[in-house]
Amino acid sequence: MKTGSRLALLSIAVIAVAGAAICIGPSKLLDAQKLWQLLSGAPRTPELERAALVLWELRLPRVLLAAAAGINLALGGLLLQTIFRNPLAEPYLLGLSSGGALGAVAALAAGATTVVWPALGGSLAVAAIVLLLCRRRIASDLPSLLLAGVALGALAQAFTTALILRFDPGAMRSILFWLMGSFAGRGWTEVWLIAPAAAMGCILVVMSHRSLDILAMGGESAHHLGVHVRALQLGGIALAAVLAALTVAACGTIGFVGLMAPHLARRFTGSGHAFTAPAAALVGAVLTVGSDLAARTILVGTELPVGVITGAVGCAFFLALLLGRR
Amino acid sequence: MKSSSLSAGGISAGYNATDVVRGITFDLQAGEVLGVVGPNGCGKSTLLRALTGLLPLRAGSVQFGGRDLESLAPRERARFCAVQPQTETPVFDFDVRQFVLLGRHARRPFLGRAGTNDTAAVDRALDCTDMKNLAGRSIRELSDGEWQRALLARALAQETSVLLLDEPVAHLDPGHSHGVHGLLRDLARNQGKAILCVSHDLNLAAEFSDRLMFMQSGTIRALGRPDEILGDELLEEVFGCRSLRTAKNPFTGRPGVFFAS
Repeated sequence: MKTGSRLALLSIAVIAVAGAAICIGPSKLLDAQKLWQLLSGAPRTPELERAALVLWELRLPRVLLAAAAGINLALGGLLLQTIFRNPLAEPYLLGLSSGGALGAVAALAAGATTVVWPALGGSLAVAAIVLLLCRRRIASDLPSLLLAGVALGALAQAFTTALILRFDPGAMRSILFWLMGSFAGRGWTEVWLIAPAAAMGCILVVMSHRSLDILAMGGESAHHLGVHVRALQLGGIALAAVLAALTVAACGTIGFVGLMAPHLARRFTGSGHAFTAPAAALVGAVLTVGSDLAARTILVGTELPVGVITGAVGCAFFLALLLGRR
Repeated sequence: MKSSSLSAGGISAGYNATDVVRGITFDLQAGEVLGVVGPNGCGKSTLLRALTGLLPLRAGSVQFGGRDLESLAPRERARFCAVQPQTETPVFDFDVRQFVLLGRHARRPFLGRAGTNDTAAVDRALDCTDMKNLAGRSIRELSDGEWQRALLARALAQETSVLLLDEPVAHLDPGHSHGVHGLLRDLARNQGKAILCVSHDLNLAAEFSDRLMFMQSGTIRALGRPDEILGDELLEEVFGCRSLRTAKNPFTGRPGVFFAS
């Protein structure tokens, strides 16, 4: 099959999963039939008005948020796997999620009601520290950057744990829920926070596809072929960090999507970034929207954090990847 | 006076506290093949890294066609000088043509499809390296010899006046080694390329190079035409081996190197 038609197939998968996620939910006010009526412009009965409300205020922002989160994490993972030439690289290795968690928990401890901005501050701060620490060594010693990210992440995590122990059990539960990552209780604010970044990320990565292809062959060869290696590495890492930091702030930590999506995308397309990047974005969206749907529907009457689903799927995938490598 | 294709003036470069190469000065003219030889660790690869800007110069200057290396942006540099690395891992499922087209990166606009110039350059590069019939083959399915020629084709597609090669025949059998060196000589003769080739095979280097550069402990020990500088004393001094002897190749009349014991 041509790569183009594979991308089309992936797009159809995204639309199908998103459609299912919009039609299925604990509230029976909106289902496939009512969605069709809304889309086809049927006369507005009070029942249909309520369905429209569920669509616009609950399901649609949630699906869009999940999709944008998946795209951001997938693009970040793809960038880092290419730049570090390491199949196990993913955005959270830069210490972002721990930094975001520390920001959120610290804000809650200080009595704040919203955690989006503190979480964004925390994750960006950790990413900035990692990049500043390593900017001199980045050309010669990229792996040290990941190690610095892991080290700073561990530090942030230690502070977070110390803070969490000061909360009462009820607050602890909600913090734990946030740490596991979830699309529940979010709205258009969060969508507007990360969806434009997802679109911008797609454009930037697809635009740099040729340089990324060349960089994937190795830093020295890229240098000889005329790629500005250091700028591309720094820019790519910074872009991955910003995309992931925004996502952590809006949705908490959703593990393994950034790791899995690029690998699955490469299976689908097999060649350069011109196709792998859009494929990774689409796969990421399918993973997060699908996982969110599962998190909402697997247990009747309660909702799992979406990170539990991606973690479970990710574990199986991770082991298969490790054991399957020859 | 026309400036040399590549000129190095007193360059020093190295890692950490040590200068691995010191005070290297030479010129490389259009149409010339310069073979660089020397024992392991004498600084051949470091010299290549310094010449291409991978390693910052600690002293001296490098010029391509009269332009200072440090004043060249990455894309400009890639239009002056192409490098064939020792080897590379083929990470993508590109076919040979796609792979060679990567050599056009510095000559293509940021976005858009390959133009007719690019296609023509890729065709010529594939033709030169005898890779035309493998153009549609995946780079992961190439033999060592074919992969080496694909790397050379990518460097040729850059259409630079200077070509630097780091042991281009390290993994090749004698037949393919001979083919690659013959090709390099033809590229210099027919297309006026200036070629610097780091090599471990003294016989191939002596046979196919217009001049040889013997390196020892990071400096140039001898530089000149093979028949002028190759001698038993030089070999013993540079390689620390008493068994190396030079003698005339009975077929080509050029000097060759043999083990006397």
